[in-house]
Amino acid sequence: MRMSIGERCFQVFNYSFLIIAAATMIAPLLQLLAVSFSSPVAADAKKVFLLPVDFTVDTWVHILQNDVLWRSFFVTVFITVVGTFLSMLFSVLTAFPLSRKDFLLRKPIMFAIVITMIFNAPMIPFFLTVREVGLMDSVWALIIPGLISTFNMVIIRTFFMGIPSDLDDAAKIDGCNEFGLLFRIYLPLSKPVLATIGLFYAVGLWNTFKTAVLFVRNPDLWPLQMRLRSFFVSEEQLSTVDLLVGDYDFNTTTLKAATIIFATIPIVIVYPYLQKYFVKGAVLGSLKE
Amino acid sequence: MKNYANNPTIDSGVKRNIPIKSKRKKNRYIENIQKHWMLYLMILPGLIYYIIFKYIPLLGSVIAFQDYQILNGIMNSPWVGLENFYHLLNYQDFHEVLRNTALIALYQLIFQFPAPIIFALLFNEIRLMIAKKTIQSLFYLPHFLSWVIVGGIVFELLSTEGVINAFREILGYEPILFMQEKEYFRTIVVFSGIWKEVGWGTIIYLAAITAINPSLYEAAVIDGANRWKQTIHITLPLLFPTILILFLLNIGNFLELGFDQIFNLLTPMTYSVGDIIETYVYRAGILQGQYSLTTAIGLFQSVIGFALLWIFNRLARKTGQGLW
Repeated sequence: MRMSIGERCFQVFNYSFLIIAAATMIAPLLQLLAVSFSSPVAADAKKVFLLPVDFTVDTWVHILQNDVLWRSFFVTVFITVVGTFLSMLFSVLTAFPLSRKDFLLRKPIMFAIVITMIFNAPMIPFFLTVREVGLMDSVWALIIPGLISTFNMVIIRTFFMGIPSDLDDAAKIDGCNEFGLLFRIYLPLSKPVLATIGLFYAVGLWNTFKTAVLFVRNPDLWPLQMRLRSFFVSEEQLSTVDLLVGDYDFNTTTLKAATIIFATIPIVIVYPYLQKYFVKGAVLGSLKE
Repeated sequence: MKNYANNPTIDSGVKRNIPIKSKRKKNRYIENIQKHWMLYLMILPGLIYYIIFKYIPLLGSVIAFQDYQILNGIMNSPWVGLENFYHLLNYQDFHEVLRNTALIALYQLIFQFPAPIIFALLFNEIRLMIAKKTIQSLFYLPHFLSWVIVGGIVFELLSTEGVINAFREILGYEPILFMQEKEYFRTIVVFSGIWKEVGWGTIIYLAAITAINPSLYEAAVIDGANRWKQTIHITLPLLFPTILILFLLNIGNFLELGFDQIFNLLTPMTYSVGDIIETYVYRAGILQGQYSLTTAIGLFQSVIGFALLWIFNRLARKTGQGLW
């Protein structure tokens, strides 16, 4: 198809604009990566853009020997793995009865649950409840208060409702009870949607921050995001040595850059897998409306 | 009187009618529970979760009408009616926090809400599939980073050692302490919000664009419409229902800006322009223990959100489409 001059100008503008904008999405991370491999002198002299200057791995050697950082890393791994499993289990178990026409309380319960999406409890009564339940200062405070995301649960329910009911009859004839129906027939058929929702939960748990701010005072139980935040607020915590005494090939600038990259790497590694599923999920979410 | 009381026909008629109905109803539920007890068992954990972590805190909001003291609990704390709310209205801090929240919310609505629509339309003009896929992949990435990390990146970029100030230096300008200056704070909030979420936001619009019937464009081409006219007269009008629904969902959370973002960008130097309801409630409520006052603020926020949703939903229904 032939394009007019105006359209051609627009195409040139559009490509350049979007390519530059897309570059800004990754450039800050690349720059921090470069800083984390540069000498502190070069980093503070603003010489580092996308390639390291005076290449050194000392910053990373120091970061990877930081026990406090690793401790938080494992707290985050724990809540992500256990939390995703529990959230999926609870969401599926709640979604399944709500998708069944032969479940008499389906409509009232569904209504009661959707109401909580519109009327959200304020922060303080939520905080007081979690404290009364006795979850303060434990890793469970990072998992249980946010166990079911209503949004995710409703997506699973919608998917279950789309599975043809002929399968139910076949399963019943084979002597399958309702637990069997859910675990042996519905769940295997729902793999794509379960993968998507599982990833939503996992990313949310990996990025857990607010619940940690509210419920965890004990630094030993801080998840990664909370630890990073404390590093940023008081920079002297970044290093396990006194930077003012002695001569080191790193400083707070390079250490900060390295910790940001440290916390981002896991996300970047799983990103290709993430991408495969989340677009589908975001569209599934919109169907609900 | 005596006659009536002893009259068996009237008496039994009344007695029989009501119990039988409720018995039947009861039987229906009991039967359902007996037949599908597994479904009831399955939903039990979820129900307990919703009661404990959604409904009890919702009911706990009554402490906004009390002078809540931890040792006394909800049952024994004195009721004070609307005193907390009167107190708020005359409270200097609250005015400032409310103004900050409303202003940032408004800026987000004006600048951040339309951004994904514009970008979705621009993505849609890219015909080269490889370029489109690559650009989209890069745009989605920041959505998966936490606000702690994005906040850290923003602080680094804008620090005196950061890239932005490096460029300013090359151009011969003095470096600026962006994060400590009041005048830049709201701009930074809006820009970082767009940077992080614009790509993710385009997904729904792109899905809606692909759902548009291609024959509409073919007909428009025959009528001599160029790409610009097609966008204005076909794509945008057909996107309108999606835009409207997302707008309504957005307006219900108008004053909920997101604790994580503001908390991670705020410094004590920028409190006067950037302290919002959620960060204030955290400091005054959780750190300082003013539970009743801050719950009143939280309720106020919810009521405003619901009122806005209700008003805009009514307006939307006039154009033929609302959330309910």
